[in-house]
Amino acid sequence: MTDAIWRMIAIEEHSAAMNMGIDEAILEGVRDGVSTATIRFYRWKPSAVSIGRFQGILDEVNMERCKAAGVDVVRRITGGGAVYHDFEGELTYSVIAPQSVMPKGIRESYGLICGWVIAGLGMLGINAQFAPINDITVEGKKISGNAQTRRDGVLLQHGTILYSIDSSAMFSLLNVSKEKISDKAISSAHERVTSVCAVAPGTSMKALYESMYKGFCEGKSIAPGTLSNTEAIRAAELSKRYASDSWNSYR
Amino acid sequence: MDGSAKLKVPGGKLVYVRIKYSDNIEDVKILGDFFMHPEEALAQIELAIAGMPARSDEDSIAARISDVARKQGVEMIGVTAQSIAQAIRMAIK
Repeated sequence: MTDAIWRMIAIEEHSAAMNMGIDEAILEGVRDGVSTATIRFYRWKPSAVSIGRFQGILDEVNMERCKAAGVDVVRRITGGGAVYHDFEGELTYSVIAPQSVMPKGIRESYGLICGWVIAGLGMLGINAQFAPINDITVEGKKISGNAQTRRDGVLLQHGTILYSIDSSAMFSLLNVSKEKISDKAISSAHERVTSVCAVAPGTSMKALYESMYKGFCEGKSIAPGTLSNTEAIRAAELSKRYASDSWNSYR
Repeated sequence: MDGSAKLKVPGGKLVYVRIKYSDNIEDVKILGDFFMHPEEALAQIELAIAGMPARSDEDSIAARISDVARKQGVEMIGVTAQSIAQAIRMAIK
């Protein structure tokens, strides 16, 4: 990995469409050589469901319940699965960097970035492991899901760190199985998924964010920054696509 | 006729195929939580499969997918040409 100066964008709160628009605007900026390698942290306001690039929206999402609950629904640029991003229950990061400063192998690059998440969790006394392909686990339960793409010489990886789990909302909004939502289904999610609050009770969201920020900064040349005007304008444009049915419901 | 099939790729992700066919495959949608980039290549793969005889065997469907993947420089993670072909075969009764 060659030296890069990383722009760190401190935590922000945006709609689902804007969060995805910002990621893609930075990706374009890095592609065009006008933006540097960037790490950003964000939350989803309002809470949102994101689905993987190749998923069928109606297979994965209960659209009526999302609408009734005021929950955004967005299709990501990245593959992977459907995620419920609870505003109170989750922290998200994105890493956007020239491929030249990242490991070439998919597994190695997931491993590297997931290592930054693991370092951040470690600062909270949480012992987490990378679980290839794209998960991070604590005692075998998933605490973080991650998704990566590469295009035009740029690597984009975004991922979530579960702070607390609202499993009834998750099961109500996502079509986890064709069977009716039962207590059995909810308890089995508790067996597969965990959260910062479950493994390090008393940790605040602020403490989680500060630990993640430090974990991601370790060993890097850091320049705290914000979106450029060009990026912000482009992000607003791109957010319109991420809010459109033609993108979100194309399959 | 319409068909569909779900396949968990061993050590990988879920592939879900929805297909319309008569003597030939008319339309296919490949869905799931796998990764493939560039992402636009999946539409090219779907187009390349449409028009193949519905009785095509798994290997010839996989070869067609691999051909597009090679030409487009596609990386697949959690899914393979063979597993997509297998799901397509399962979806055709």
